[in-house]
Amino acid sequence: MAQEPKDVLVRMNEDLQRALEKAPEDRHWVMVIDLRKCVGCHACTIACVAENKLPPGVVYRPVLEKETGTYPNVTRSFLPRPCMQCDNPSCTPVCPVSATYKNAEGVVVVDYDECIGCRACLVACPYGARTSDFGYTYTEELPVLDGAIVGREAADDYECAANYEYGKEWAREGHRGSPIGNARKCHFCLHRIHEGELPACVTTCIGRATLYGDANDPDSLVTELIKSPNLIRLKEELGTEPRVYYMV
Amino acid sequence: MKKKTSTKLLDFKAMNNATRITLLVGLAAFFFGIFGLYTRLFVGEREVGYGSYVVWGLWVAMYLFLAGIATGSYMLAALEYIFNVPIFKGTGKAALFAGLVTMPAALASIGMDLGHMERIIKVYLQPNFFSLLAQMVWGYTLFLLVVIVTLWLAFKQKDGQPTGTFFKIVLWIGFFMSIFLSGGVGALLGVNASRPYWTVGLLSVQFPIFAFASGVSLMLIVIGWFMHFKDEEQRYHLFRWLGWVAIALSLSKIYILWAYLSQAWYSQIPDVMAPLNEILFGRYWFSFWVVQIAIGTVIPLVLHMIPKLAHNGTWAGLIGLMVLIGFAAARTNIVFPAMSVEMLDGLPNAFFGPHLSILYTPSNLEISVTAGVIGAAILAFVLGAEILAVFNKPKMEVK
Repeated sequence: MAQEPKDVLVRMNEDLQRALEKAPEDRHWVMVIDLRKCVGCHACTIACVAENKLPPGVVYRPVLEKETGTYPNVTRSFLPRPCMQCDNPSCTPVCPVSATYKNAEGVVVVDYDECIGCRACLVACPYGARTSDFGYTYTEELPVLDGAIVGREAADDYECAANYEYGKEWAREGHRGSPIGNARKCHFCLHRIHEGELPACVTTCIGRATLYGDANDPDSLVTELIKSPNLIRLKEELGTEPRVYYMV
Repeated sequence: MKKKTSTKLLDFKAMNNATRITLLVGLAAFFFGIFGLYTRLFVGEREVGYGSYVVWGLWVAMYLFLAGIATGSYMLAALEYIFNVPIFKGTGKAALFAGLVTMPAALASIGMDLGHMERIIKVYLQPNFFSLLAQMVWGYTLFLLVVIVTLWLAFKQKDGQPTGTFFKIVLWIGFFMSIFLSGGVGALLGVNASRPYWTVGLLSVQFPIFAFASGVSLMLIVIGWFMHFKDEEQRYHLFRWLGWVAIALSLSKIYILWAYLSQAWYSQIPDVMAPLNEILFGRYWFSFWVVQIAIGTVIPLVLHMIPKLAHNGTWAGLIGLMVLIGFAAARTNIVFPAMSVEMLDGLPNAFFGPHLSILYTPSNLEISVTAGVIGAAILAFVLGAEILAVFNKPKMEVK
């Protein structure tokens, strides 16, 4: 009797556990986004905002929408855009204090404690993948209402509670402390990865369109996929060598 | 009755009308700036118009502008002290002092743009020298020190005394620094392959020329409005020659601008054309055609060619001011439009939130801070120059 194929999430989870057994420098994290399966639901965007407690004006993974054709021959296409985690990033050499760099696993990270907020990396990134944190919260303009379960205070508390990017606690206290004033970007949910969990955008994708894994593992799903001929990378002509592949 | 010399540091009664008006304008600008400076320092960056897509705004443009004046003024001083160019005689101290005032103003303007101003010290302690930004921070800090030393040495010189070797060495160092640093700010933009409009050839090479033109324009203001000459003939000669230099620089400016814009135009690269269209026919047309071209270039050029006006102090100062305003607009036209392009089709509409727009207009906060910085620079320049007798003012004699 033929074996039932595994759900890709299960398979990616197994791939992840295998990758975590290796030294960080031996992993090559890659994301593959199957544009044929993306329905533009924005679940990945919302999951990312929730996971990283992103404030207004900060987004790591928007989904770009494009409408082509004229009625009645109209098509909509969607393009989720995380950080490309380029192998040859243009955003890191411009940092005056080396606060942003590629870590041992090849993920472009930002050291919030070192970033001076000059935004040179935002200028340099050809994908617009970085946003600046200007210190907003979603609830600040809301009226204060009494409520036993969810009132503004409860929402405030949630918003200002720490997120755990890069494995550290980052609470939003006042208007000044990091990550406020810093450049922020997608980091492939490294804090989840190191706990053995897939990135938030991967687990929430309803069409299983976002796939993730270690391209140095010959048995991983992404290794299998990036051999396909129908792959593109954004702005390849710039030589940035993105680690995000799109299946078209 | 015996005459006695006034010992007052500042004698407002003895100031001419232009000095008084300039002081008033500086004071008004500075007071307007207090709101912005307070908001920026104690509330934060929320009220700014720039953001994550139009990343750098008015403060960066003003940094380029003020740093250009500082380096250009130094070049002018070098022409007097190193090369003994007779036409620039008597302008050296004023030019150096202008550099001393505009350089900190430039650094203050760019400092306001930092998300974490308090961490600027990290650029000195743990610099990444591959980054042009780090090079500029170090370069301009060292340049400021060189300006201070040069000015100190210039004050030690007595009239008619030949310049000493140490003085000349410092001047040469400063001269080279002024050329490289003024070009460096252009390179700071030009190295970003992500912004095709900045990668058009000629971007960074035009900056030293524009910086020198800024220095000459400022000197026209200084000579026209503030400087005192024992011999009016000297003022006339300075106007005449600085006028010719200004005309030559204006023509160079027009040529370089044409070369740059036409190269961009004929490339027909969409990401280059988009900012160019914004400049020529879109959001920035007024700033380009009216402020940069008409007020900043064509009208001054015409006025320069009318000797009666070009050799009149008030008019010469006005011409200098117009050219400077044109340069300020030119800087904004280099910085803003290049970032008004969608990095990826549909990106600005993919997620909504504050500071996620490619349409940029400087906010009141930015305008206020800029006014405060420029107001402070004007006050520091005029008052400092009065106190240090930079304007060659003879000591006031009271009967």
